[in-house]
Amino acid sequence: MSNSLMNRILLAVALAVAYVGVPLVFGGNAYVLGLIVAALTIAGVAVAWALLGNLGGMVSFGHAAFFGVGSYTSAVLAMKLGVPVFAAMLLGGLGAAVSSIAMLPALRLRGPYFALAILAYAHIFQILATEMTPITGGAGGLLSIPRFPTVLGFDFGDKTGGYLIVLTIVVLAALAYDAIRRSTWGLALKAMHDTEVATRVVGVPSTHLKAAMLVLSAFITGVVGAFNAHFISFLDPDYAFSSGWTVLPIAAAIFGGYRTVWGPVVGALAIYLVDQLLFKPILPHGHQMILGVLLCAMILFSPGGLMPALSRRPVKENRHAHA
Amino acid sequence: MTNALDILTLRAGYGAINVLWDVSLSVETGKTTVIVGPNGAGKTTLLRAIMGLVPATSGDVRVDGQSRKAVKTWDRVADGLVMIPEGRMIFPDMTVEDNLMMGAFPPGCRRDWKRNKAMVMDMFPRLAERRGQIAGTLSGGEAQMLAIGRGLMEQPRVCLIDEPSLGLAPVVVDEIFRILARLRAEGLTILLVEQNTSRALKIADHVYLMQSGKVVLSERGDRVDLDRLHALYFAHETAA
Repeated sequence: MSNSLMNRILLAVALAVAYVGVPLVFGGNAYVLGLIVAALTIAGVAVAWALLGNLGGMVSFGHAAFFGVGSYTSAVLAMKLGVPVFAAMLLGGLGAAVSSIAMLPALRLRGPYFALAILAYAHIFQILATEMTPITGGAGGLLSIPRFPTVLGFDFGDKTGGYLIVLTIVVLAALAYDAIRRSTWGLALKAMHDTEVATRVVGVPSTHLKAAMLVLSAFITGVVGAFNAHFISFLDPDYAFSSGWTVLPIAAAIFGGYRTVWGPVVGALAIYLVDQLLFKPILPHGHQMILGVLLCAMILFSPGGLMPALSRRPVKENRHAHA
Repeated sequence: MTNALDILTLRAGYGAINVLWDVSLSVETGKTTVIVGPNGAGKTTLLRAIMGLVPATSGDVRVDGQSRKAVKTWDRVADGLVMIPEGRMIFPDMTVEDNLMMGAFPPGCRRDWKRNKAMVMDMFPRLAERRGQIAGTLSGGEAQMLAIGRGLMEQPRVCLIDEPSLGLAPVVVDEIFRILARLRAEGLTILLVEQNTSRALKIADHVYLMQSGKVVLSERGDRVDLDRLHALYFAHETAA
């Protein structure tokens, strides 16, 4: 009880710092704020990926597809049909969710087979975006995608506005994830990992639940992709469907602890910001190597990730006790 | 009066390997029907086919006279067709209480889950003692009790029970069969698969013997001659 109360206080403090502290401190520093927005974009996809991986029990290598479909759907709707940007962003998520329905047959597959199927699937969508030139602009991409508007005198189109939007998306996604995990559905999903047959026997529509997690994960990823499209105002197929949108969130989720709700967020902020602010100035070329070594060390010393490591022992000095 | 469960010339198996060869049998409402038979006779496969866990290639499964062949497993459960799987098919990483809560997953069962839980705890005081314990650390007998309790949480109309005495100490087997006798006395419709023939016959209203995927004997419980049954049971060739 007191533990959960402490977690709530911690969450409240973190949210206060995120919503008030960060804009006040970094509002004038466009470079750092831009990095934080990029880190949160990865965090959003990482939360969606972890939701599918942890609750649905499915490892996906294809989240770039949902990211790309979300960004293109939203950008095209806003540019060609004049849909308001915020509405287009949600429709982008919907587009990604619809695209994930084509993936449902792959739910019969398990483990590496599912991962490979979804990887191939992601590639199909990249080709579609490249070839459907009249709608997507083809390989040349889309330029001058509408930015977020000014609402009630506050400009959501600038760096601070974008920061608040992506922060809200990430927080809502994590809270939704947490709510599902605590529900009877979450219990059923957890049970599915042990024995799927047993869950069916107690009347759990396991296939439907897994499908629901895939669709929800695709929706969140699509919204994040759509946000990114309007934030940077540019898209091309190689960028929107880049494997980086799959690999970085996976690395972030695993680094932070993909079985925890906030692990993927902490992981994304940690690896992206540390990489860009600390390692890049030291080693302008090949700074990702340090990150790779760090990730390997994390998996060796704390397979559960950063979050479990922090909550298990706040003092870091005895970390060798585990090895 | 229609039977609670009718199996009509059911064929089922795993991919290219067919296990059940035109199995037909009936389970009367409110009665305990027992299926005995050696290993590999297809008893467990039959229960799985009734639940829809193994697809039927031909024949039909009818509950209260209505075909359930095209219905998904979870919808069959919501309908009151409940299977208590053999051995330790409980959720090992969850507490005893969460396991019971999972039993009440079908929407129709959630309303009464507290009352049903109290009923299960009353029936199995040992589960009440261990309500917070992780199910994977239970003894074999306790795990079997939990599996039965979880099944009862699903408010069964027809209860399929797969080898509840498997691998248990005699004193625990006694306890399990006491519970089964109690459920029978309360009027629950039961289809019991059991290798412990002498025990099972004591609570059987009707007995079927299965061998090599076929029903080779069907007889009222009080007319079964154990010696004759065992002679058939251990025969390698059957006259089916």
